[in-house]
Amino acid sequence: MYVKSGQSSYRDRTQEFINVTERLKKSVSSSGVQQNVATSSNSGSKFDAQRSAVSIQSEFNKRASKIGYGIHGTSQKLAKLAKLAKRTSVFDDPTVEIQELTTVIKQDITALNSAVVDLQLLCNSQNESGNISSDTTSHSTTVVDNLKNRLMSATKEFKEVLTMRTENLKVHENRRQLFSSSGSKDSASPFVRQRPLAARDGCKCLKPLSSPMGQWVNVIITIISQVCKTILSLILILKKLMDGETSSPSQPLLQQQQQQEQQQQQQMVPLQDSYMQSRAEALQNVESTIHELSNIFQQLATMVSEQGEIAIRIDENMEDTLANVEGAQGQLLKYLNGISSNRWLMIKIFFVLIVFLMIFLFFVA
Amino acid sequence: MKITAILVLKCDGSDPIILANETDVSHFGYFQKNPAKEFITFVGRTVAKRTPPSQRQSVEHEEYKVHCYNRNGLCALGFMDDHYPVRSAFSLLNKVLDEYQKSFGESWRTVQADASQPWPYLKEALTKFQDPAEADKLFKIQRDLDETKIILHKTIDSVLARGEKLDSLVEKSSDLSASSQECRWGPPPSVLVGFTSMLCIRSPPID
Repeated sequence: MYVKSGQSSYRDRTQEFINVTERLKKSVSSSGVQQNVATSSNSGSKFDAQRSAVSIQSEFNKRASKIGYGIHGTSQKLAKLAKLAKRTSVFDDPTVEIQELTTVIKQDITALNSAVVDLQLLCNSQNESGNISSDTTSHSTTVVDNLKNRLMSATKEFKEVLTMRTENLKVHENRRQLFSSSGSKDSASPFVRQRPLAARDGCKCLKPLSSPMGQWVNVIITIISQVCKTILSLILILKKLMDGETSSPSQPLLQQQQQQEQQQQQQMVPLQDSYMQSRAEALQNVESTIHELSNIFQQLATMVSEQGEIAIRIDENMEDTLANVEGAQGQLLKYLNGISSNRWLMIKIFFVLIVFLMIFLFFVA
Repeated sequence: MKITAILVLKCDGSDPIILANETDVSHFGYFQKNPAKEFITFVGRTVAKRTPPSQRQSVEHEEYKVHCYNRNGLCALGFMDDHYPVRSAFSLLNKVLDEYQKSFGESWRTVQADASQPWPYLKEALTKFQDPAEADKLFKIQRDLDETKIILHKTIDSVLARGEKLDSLVEKSSDLSASSQECRWGPPPSVLVGFTSMLCIRSPPID
């Protein structure tokens, strides 16, 4: 820890420590030898108590160190899990690894929990048995508290990582639903399947249309969507019935029957299942076809409404043209009138011209 | 997709007893009709004996598939070819069983010998259900939906063509309105003077 301190404020006493340990070891081994010879000698009992105290202490230390190591390993795995959970994208989802890691971490945490509880019990029993200094008791209690705190922080981090992962999954699901609508066949409960259809129905009737034809198409679309909804609900009811059927025929696996019948029945159950599965598959096909159909209708409605708008534009253009042409016709009529009544004007103009010619001739000649 | 025979048997462990039998052996030769019928009954009895109660079973035999559905001792068998969908076959057998129970109630339990009277329902069932769509509603729905989808695809294509035509129409109409805008105010006054002068030169000879 204080490797880089300029002024070294510690004294290296490792050598003394090593000497002490060797001495103690010798004394413990010698007391063990004595123990085998003299059963109830005071020094033997004292050494025994000492040895038991030492052994208990070392046992405590061993356990504590194991727990600490376990917590450290768990926190490392947790960091890895957090990294995996953060980098999940829509397509490249390491679900399997994440699941494995979560289970492993959960097991580790539970094991560490139980180990810490054991350690605390040991510490309490140690405290009650007396025979040891108060320093040791305080030391052991602080160690246990420290381990508990670390374990708690590790569990909290684990929970946060799990919540983050579920949120990520939700976001991915939403994004997936935005882009692919008919591919969602994997929902387990019927309500989830009905909800996307309901949402789709909600936005089906939203097109702002001005033409009556477009509105008529809209009405048709709403009717068809309602029909689709009823059909889907019927299909779901059928499915539930079928699931009820699957549970009853797959039950008869009687154990007291002869082996041959049992074998036969075991062969039957896969056949029943495949029959039911094929029915379920057919239902799913029908449902997906209906979804596609609804999509097609939706697109049809969009196209028809756009074309309705184009038709309106054509209509306006033609009306403009009509107005312009009528104006042009009026102008031409006026012009025609102007032309047809021109002769009188022409005569007057001729008179004026001849007068001018006369004046011109007078001046020149 | 052909059904060759439909049978209804009573099977309760021992030899099954035929309750109703309907076969269509018209495609065999004259001498093979009877043997074919015998063969069908024999195979039917064997399969029915081997089918445990409330179980469905499909057995492949030469070029036929035999589908058997045993329900509480009442067994329905169908001899179909390979192309007939299995699900439709079992729904057909279900239907036949329901119909039989409706028309005969529980009287079949006491029958000891093979029934000899034909059951008219089975006869018409055999002809009606040659097409699996009749037997299996799911199949029918799927087929109708596929046809509808094809029709809708065609509709969308024609709507797209209509859209193109409408686009060309809209362009033409906008050109028309633009050019009519020009003609709206009639010819300009300079043209008027030119016209009058031309007419002046022409009119004295007329006058």
